[in-house]
Amino acid sequence: MTTPQIGTPVGKPLPFNDNRHLQAHQFLVDEAYLLDAQQYETWLDTLADDIHYLMPVRVTTALGAGFDTSPGMAHFDEDKYSLSRRVARFATEHAWTEDPPSRLRHDITNVRTFACEDDVHLVVESAELLFRSRGDVNEAALVSCGRQDVLRRCGDHQDQLKLARRTILVDESVLRMQNLAVFL
Amino acid sequence: MVDQHRVLDNVRRGMIPAHIYNDKELFELEKERLFSRAWLFVAHESEIPQDGDYVVRRVLDDSFIITRDANGEIRAMFNMCLHRGMQVCRAEMGNASNFRCPYHGWTYRNDGRLTGLPFHREAYGGDDGFPRDGQTLLPAPNLASYNGLIFINMDPDAQPLEDFLGDFRFYLDFYTKQSRGGLEVRGPQRWRIKANWKIGAENFAGDMYHTPHTHASIVEIGLFREPRAQKRKDGATYWAQCGGGTTYKLPPGNFEERMRYVGYPDEMVDRIKRVWTKLQQQLVGDDGFMISAASCFPNLSFVHNWPKVLDSADADSPDDVLPFISIRLWQPISENETEVCSWFAVDSAAPPEYKKNSYKAYLMCFGSTGMFEQDDVENWVSLTNTAGGSMARRLLLNSRMGLLSDDRPVVDPLPSAAFHGPGHAQVGYNENNQRALLRLWADHLEMPPVSTAMTALGTAATI
Repeated sequence: MTTPQIGTPVGKPLPFNDNRHLQAHQFLVDEAYLLDAQQYETWLDTLADDIHYLMPVRVTTALGAGFDTSPGMAHFDEDKYSLSRRVARFATEHAWTEDPPSRLRHDITNVRTFACEDDVHLVVESAELLFRSRGDVNEAALVSCGRQDVLRRCGDHQDQLKLARRTILVDESVLRMQNLAVFL
Repeated sequence: MVDQHRVLDNVRRGMIPAHIYNDKELFELEKERLFSRAWLFVAHESEIPQDGDYVVRRVLDDSFIITRDANGEIRAMFNMCLHRGMQVCRAEMGNASNFRCPYHGWTYRNDGRLTGLPFHREAYGGDDGFPRDGQTLLPAPNLASYNGLIFINMDPDAQPLEDFLGDFRFYLDFYTKQSRGGLEVRGPQRWRIKANWKIGAENFAGDMYHTPHTHASIVEIGLFREPRAQKRKDGATYWAQCGGGTTYKLPPGNFEERMRYVGYPDEMVDRIKRVWTKLQQQLVGDDGFMISAASCFPNLSFVHNWPKVLDSADADSPDDVLPFISIRLWQPISENETEVCSWFAVDSAAPPEYKKNSYKAYLMCFGSTGMFEQDDVENWVSLTNTAGGSMARRLLLNSRMGLLSDDRPVVDPLPSAAFHGPGHAQVGYNENNQRALLRLWADHLEMPPVSTAMTALGTAATI
């Protein structure tokens, strides 16, 4: 999917006591709560209408090959509509994969916030470890990834943040999770 | 090894001992007798379009480098250095003229020829100690392609691929030949599921019965209009030699109208008409059947569906759908684990906008994040888990749907005038294809192990 490039980061990461960093960090932690609790309709409202939500397929390539993702292939390559269909599906009574629901824990660390050339966007990097447990004794599954997000100020007083871009770089080539009926 | 005759006899009459879906001994038997002589899909030629391109693929425990060499020829080479056995290529894909072993620096051309052997003269006394010329990485025992699908066979005396595929090629063409240029594929997405490999292969081969229930949510959110219970059972299942699949019954119309109904733009239909035979076109145009899922024995599957994926689509307009094709490998890891490799495939001549939307359709429906797929895997993991216990050894699962007690069919087969494809076909829910797949499975498990020859390199001694 091609979407307009927005949010060019400038300079070093913002100091951890910078208000913009604090706001961005809180956005990610609040979002992790929504994803753990599977409150997906509320989560959908935190996404900008022009969201591009991308999770490329990682591949092992020789050092110097110049690429480490599978050309033209992703796990997620979503816009607001396709994400809304996924959320709508979970709201039906027939999404068996999450009935009974998984126990999820999205751990978010290594948050770095960058100012952008414009005042509207912030670029935020984070590391994420998702723990997912299903049933009583099934082996739990983990997904480790890095994320690069673009957050956008919006609302009447520019006091609200929405997620406008997310690129999820998963740390495994072969996923050890039975499906991605989750969001990262 | 316990006597499996009783197990296999039960399988042949459609009564499936539940433990076959999680049985270590049977898995060893599958490796020894089935995967050692079946044609196994490894890659599509479009994954390695340029000279020097390569992908590394596994066939059970063996790693192969699939390359397009400097002369454009496709090769499959065992990924093990002739000297100390290191993997000479540890990437999954790339472009290389040479592979150099990281251990002692032996170097191979991308056609497998050994070209570099450090200190050949000093260490080996030159060709006297180790004749370098003519040495190559071990080639796969057998290699062949059909419509760009590259298969390996571990049996050097295997029957030719074309003979193995036989009549199933008629159906393979629907997925893999929609223009003279053929497919281009992307991926695969790879992920591991705690499920036996046979379950997915059976499901794609013929399980129309699960669609309305397992995938009810897909219809409810307006993604795919077809799988309502009443509509799904109007489709036909077919089996032809080494494979079979499911179809949907299309509304009345001619070939062009029915291709348009599932979302093919006119320019693609024009190209398709130039490469599909008259009979292939009649299956759609006269008989009104459109291919959906299919499996080719033992572990290769295909999907062709036509969901509604654009938000511009009017919720009340049934016409705004778009087809996608996916190729799927059920790579066995153990008796209770499978690596799923799932490729998105699209005709190489398709317009860019079509490719973009077809890719989107694929991601929404199938693959690691696909909304169809999510519910399937949940079922298969649960089934495999339960099949590992002792109670599963006391239970014969009834897989006789479509048969009466005296083995007469519940529904008469379709005559060739109503189904223009080869093999056997019938309308409605049945488990004929699952039984056909498992019969081939049972037949293979009773064959003797494949004889293998040793290759000794750089020595006059014969082994």
